[in-house]
Amino acid sequence: MTDEPFKRLMCLGCGFSYDEALGLPEHGIAPGTRWEDIPADWVCPDCGTPKHLFEMIVVGYASGGADLARTA
Amino acid sequence: MSQSFIIRNEERGHDLIKSDGSRSSYIAGHPDGFVTRASSFNFHEYQGGRPGFGTIRVFGDEVFHGAGCGYNMHPHHNFAICAFVFGGELTHINTAGEGMVDRLRVGDYYVFSAGSGGKHSELSVTTEDMQAIYLWVLPEQLYLPPSYHRGHFDFRCRRNELVQLVGDADGALPIPQDLRVSRLIADKGRSFHYAPRTLGHGTYVFVREGKIRCFGSELGHRDSIGISSVDGFDIEIIDDDSDVLIVETVLVDEANIRKWESEHAGH
Repeated sequence: MTDEPFKRLMCLGCGFSYDEALGLPEHGIAPGTRWEDIPADWVCPDCGTPKHLFEMIVVGYASGGADLARTA
Repeated sequence: MSQSFIIRNEERGHDLIKSDGSRSSYIAGHPDGFVTRASSFNFHEYQGGRPGFGTIRVFGDEVFHGAGCGYNMHPHHNFAICAFVFGGELTHINTAGEGMVDRLRVGDYYVFSAGSGGKHSELSVTTEDMQAIYLWVLPEQLYLPPSYHRGHFDFRCRRNELVQLVGDADGALPIPQDLRVSRLIADKGRSFHYAPRTLGHGTYVFVREGKIRCFGSELGHRDSIGISSVDGFDIEIIDDDSDVLIVETVLVDEANIRKWESEHAGH
């Protein structure tokens, strides 16, 4: 385990976001899954953009946004 | 210390995306439609240039060729997407709010904030090619309620005037980011001063038509310059009917862009 803060990343093809804290349970990725532990051949579930074209972002959620992101 | 970078027309990424084969579900207009896109910043297949500037991630100069050409319905999140129409007609089907079908002609523009999720389709349904500039901006917050606004730039009434189209000025369309888009259509010999809000704002100046001198450089058709850490700068019009888009963005501390800049020092 690491105490590194959880990161957020955004797909530069469509704006879909991945939040390490939330994971993507509906896409089989458990909450807490680090970005580097997601396979290199993973692609954006919305638009198919490859993993390496996601960008780490430091942007907060709008009110209620984290709940929406969990099931995006 | 002031900083600037120039992207010449021919240095941009050029894509031709056909509506057949593997892209047929994405690009409308089968069998003979195609989209051409010149990207100022890295986007999709083009990854040979700058990753962006401030909150700008996409600045795409696009033409939809052929009746029925465009993008089929596809999803977005988070990005604030603007389109400025310069020719033809853009039919825009959008799910934001209650959803709508919009038709944009010369001078029309929209701001679509995808926020918590939205879908849209963009089509040129007439035989005239549709010309637009697309601007994608990181949002100030993730998963905002989606929104759609549209406006019109009246180039006959607003000549020789810096007109803010998107931002916080009176009549400008709102966008959930510290960003302003202005347009200038002007005559030869005129000069205009642009002052970004603070030293922490950068300005991207794109010459769609004509020729200008800006920050010590002559910029022609589809050339552009990004300027940071200055109180202001002048745009001197060299050619009649010069048409210039100006995007002022807060300079967020983006690791991706910093890394690229350090690797391309002096570029």
